[in-house]
Amino acid sequence: MGEDTDAPPTLNHRGFLPDHNYVTEADIISTVEFNHTGELLATGDKGGRVVIFQREPESKCEPFSQGEYNVYSTFQSHEPEFDYLKSLEIEEKINKIRWLPQQNAAHFLLSTNDKTIKLWKVSERDKRPEGYNLKDEEGRIKDLSTITSLQVPVLMPMDLMVEVSPRRVFANAHTYHVNSISVNSDYQTYMSADDLRINLWHLDITDRSFNIVDIKPANMEDLTEVITAAEFHPHHCNLFVYSSSKGTLRLCDMREAALCDKHSKLFEEPEDPSARSFFSEIISSVSDVKFSHSGRYLLTRDYLTAKVWDLNMESKPLETYQVHDYLRSKLCSLYENDCIFDKFECAWNGSDSVIMTGAYNNFFRMFDRNTKRDVTLEASRESSKPRAVLKPRRVCAAGGKRRKDDISVDSLDFTKKILHTAWHPTENIIAIAATNNLYIFQDKLNSELH
Amino acid sequence: MIMKGQKRKPPPEEVEVSDRSSPMWESQRQFVFSVSLNKYHHGQELPEPSLRRSVLIANTLRQVSLEAFAAPSVDMEMSPPPCSSSSALHESVVTAKQHPAETFSALVSCPTVTLNDLSYCVPASNAPLSLKDEDEDWGSMSMDSDFSLSAAISSILTALDSTIDSSSQAAPRTPLRSLENLSAPSDGGVAWVKQGLRGYGGGWEQQEEGRAWESSTELMRCSYLSELTVEDLFQDIDTSLLERDMEVLGLIGSGGGCLTGDDLLRYLPPFSSSPPSHPFSLSLNQNLKCLPSLSSFGPLSSSSSLPSLSSPHFSSQNHVREGLDLEHLMEILVES
Repeated sequence: MGEDTDAPPTLNHRGFLPDHNYVTEADIISTVEFNHTGELLATGDKGGRVVIFQREPESKCEPFSQGEYNVYSTFQSHEPEFDYLKSLEIEEKINKIRWLPQQNAAHFLLSTNDKTIKLWKVSERDKRPEGYNLKDEEGRIKDLSTITSLQVPVLMPMDLMVEVSPRRVFANAHTYHVNSISVNSDYQTYMSADDLRINLWHLDITDRSFNIVDIKPANMEDLTEVITAAEFHPHHCNLFVYSSSKGTLRLCDMREAALCDKHSKLFEEPEDPSARSFFSEIISSVSDVKFSHSGRYLLTRDYLTAKVWDLNMESKPLETYQVHDYLRSKLCSLYENDCIFDKFECAWNGSDSVIMTGAYNNFFRMFDRNTKRDVTLEASRESSKPRAVLKPRRVCAAGGKRRKDDISVDSLDFTKKILHTAWHPTENIIAIAATNNLYIFQDKLNSELH
Repeated sequence: MIMKGQKRKPPPEEVEVSDRSSPMWESQRQFVFSVSLNKYHHGQELPEPSLRRSVLIANTLRQVSLEAFAAPSVDMEMSPPPCSSSSALHESVVTAKQHPAETFSALVSCPTVTLNDLSYCVPASNAPLSLKDEDEDWGSMSMDSDFSLSAAISSILTALDSTIDSSSQAAPRTPLRSLENLSAPSDGGVAWVKQGLRGYGGGWEQQEEGRAWESSTELMRCSYLSELTVEDLFQDIDTSLLERDMEVLGLIGSGGGCLTGDDLLRYLPPFSSSPPSHPFSLSLNQNLKCLPSLSSFGPLSSSSSLPSLSSPHFSSQNHVREGLDLEHLMEILVES
């Protein structure tokens, strides 16, 4: 593979407090998502803001320099709310952003916090009408006696203005915290999943939604499993998958029944009795699930591994990749400091040949499914200067033979975690969210790969 | 491998031990048990409470205690028999009052422990302790072989403290408490009940409440009321007025029983570690903190008539909840 080892990455990051060690909590990036063409990249943060980056067109003079991503628009998507009925604070943190496929000049995206999903329209305005009859240039009403002739207003170019406006607000449908949204391939409906329920919405209808999955037990004391992620199939508008905290995946067909509590397929790997520990269940909890672009495979991430499943084989995953197996002996400590509950996301590349996921110490990992090679890279200011080549990193197990530049397991910084990553839909450009910084890496040798 | 700013505790066994017969397995199990219990109780105080996290911790706790059952020979080294750790867990869990989902219905099916067993298992607690000293005494108890049980008990006390503590009262958050305000009326009734009981440290699910309060009273009785019975403490209280209220609320109605000290204990907020020796002399302010949510109930679904249940529980109090007169109840408590 080695694409990033040869390529000069372009580093774009936003850090509001560049030289301080502490991080403003509101700036912590909580979601990253490319749109369907890859031209736009949206990030959401804990403060409820969404920042959209746009890729600059390739420069003619330097044919090998791909366009960089620059800030296109920033807006406040969600505000903190207080539920007076239950005396609960509703956080404004953006849990997920999903773009709608572009159907006209404007772009649409869905953003959600714990309770409310909003549809935003992002449009450009680069012309404005001038030459009104009744108003002058400043907008003041003209004295009618001074008007001697009629003129037709004309559109004159102006500085580009990006306008973002909320078009729909889908509220009051979730009792528990929304963890996933997914737009259907019919481009008319989407689903939102919380810990116990999944609702189906129509994009034009905000006052009602259909509940399609409900795993809430009649007696809450019997609750042992929650929904952790959900996604629609990329091509079949009737299929969706949801993952659980017990490590299972359920593929559901909406044609079978109105309520999809009964799954069509259940993907579960039998537990290895020799590897059983007190934390077996916790580390089997699936934190993210993604369909491949082809729709044939599923990529899941649990605490220590990333797995690729074939939709046709429910009994076990097709491939299992160890992300950071050196943590297996540290589970006690990781349980104590709560790191074991971290939810890492995962991503496919455009051709479904490489998968990527994050880890600790600002490391992220890529696995090539064909060559079986993998690489560990670091997203940090110190190791990444603009146009510099990323150097592969290595973590050596405690007590193992240590090479130069290796990092020992005990030196890993568990406060620096790469939870959110995204891969451009067609090119080898990746976006990595490291706490409050966003790193964008691209591969120079784009055209040659895959 | 510690988070920045955290003091390093004695590290647990780093290597995961799958072999049950290994002594390290038992110490690991105990470590996991105590950490899990701690996390379970403090789950509310997180800035971002997560249902997934709570469920995973609860499942781990359940698994750890069930494995204690499965390996009784190892536990025999400890002074209490295996049932004690699970019984302590049972007691502590049902008194946690934080998450209704995390009350261990699975553990209830474990051999139930009678009061005698519990008092046997907690030898040092027979001496009456003032509430002020109890934390220190429990702390020293954690050094002895009865580690898991005392850890459980101290966690219970922590939970009891935290429910009355004013700081934690400010914004207790339970994802589970945010129950349906959109769904069927019957569920809405439960939601109202849950919210109102927040003063007692959390929501309740239906059938567990009677059992839970009974267990909590048993434990409290065992630990620091061994020389007093509940009836003794309450004999000064004029319960005639209270009886009327409790009848209205259905606590006595179909149950058929007369008011007992247990019933009153269900009403009362949990103990705090207040200096006065009399455990019931809670300050007026504390009472107000614990009880005000009772008056916040609104009219609930009329579909829930008083069911005939052997153990009274709060969720049956639906439409008559509005009959509760907060000030009236306060008078009764203050008189004592």
